[in-house]
Amino acid sequence: MACRKEQSQSIHRYLDEEMDLLEQRQFEEHVRGCESCDKHLSELRRTVAIVQSTSHFKAPDQLTDAVMGSLPKQKQTTRWRN
Amino acid sequence: MDMLVKKLVLEVRKGNQKAYEELVDLYKDQVYHIAYRMLGNMHEAQDISQEAFLRAYMNIDSYDIDRKFSTWLFRITTNLTIDRIRKRKPDFHLEDPIAGTDGMDHHARFVADMPLPEDQVVQLEQQEWIQKEILALPPKYRAAIVLKYIEDKSLKEISEILNMPVGTVKTRIHRGREALKKRLSSS
Repeated sequence: MACRKEQSQSIHRYLDEEMDLLEQRQFEEHVRGCESCDKHLSELRRTVAIVQSTSHFKAPDQLTDAVMGSLPKQKQTTRWRN
Repeated sequence: MDMLVKKLVLEVRKGNQKAYEELVDLYKDQVYHIAYRMLGNMHEAQDISQEAFLRAYMNIDSYDIDRKFSTWLFRITTNLTIDRIRKRKPDFHLEDPIAGTDGMDHHARFVADMPLPEDQVVQLEQQEWIQKEILALPPKYRAAIVLKYIEDKSLKEISEILNMPVGTVKTRIHRGREALKKRLSSS
């Protein structure tokens, strides 16, 4: 249990690729021998993958018109110019 | 792209609304998407997107043209969504039954908002589930997670959008990630 708490920061730094090579190797070695860290790390990776899998979609078609309709009237000078 | 955006902004400052229409078209999907992921509701997302673009237009003179326009626009958007979340009834929760319905909760209402072809239903269920877990995060973690993992923004850009130090953004992402992990593992 002591390990979990201590390594939690390391797990996030590892996921964010903020470790130098040496630290990274030491951490990976630790994870190989530590069941709880290994599980924690793989669950976090799975979580991130799931969140990243959310699909993107387009805004409603009428949004641009709605926005343009909500703007205050165009300045007079511009209307003359056009 | 950045040069084009800069040119459009300068045109808008001169009073050219056509130029603003182009800016809206460029960014509306992203603005709407951020609002939807933060709020989980299409009507509110549309409302907030409209408001964000209106505010950006009204304040276009105060935008620092040497910075990224999208960062500024997304900051307006996230501020509005967080504001909207705070203004909701404090006891508002997705699991709450809607008054006058037979045990229907707010999740069901969102699903009903989105009629989709049958082959998309399974995918929709998965999407609904993820969205529900994201909405269960406290707003300050939610914003960081949405910008990082759904909108794929860098930590630096997130720190500018949310107007907080990179270290704070990291902490929020760490905590948000842990909270989501807990929920996703237990379901």
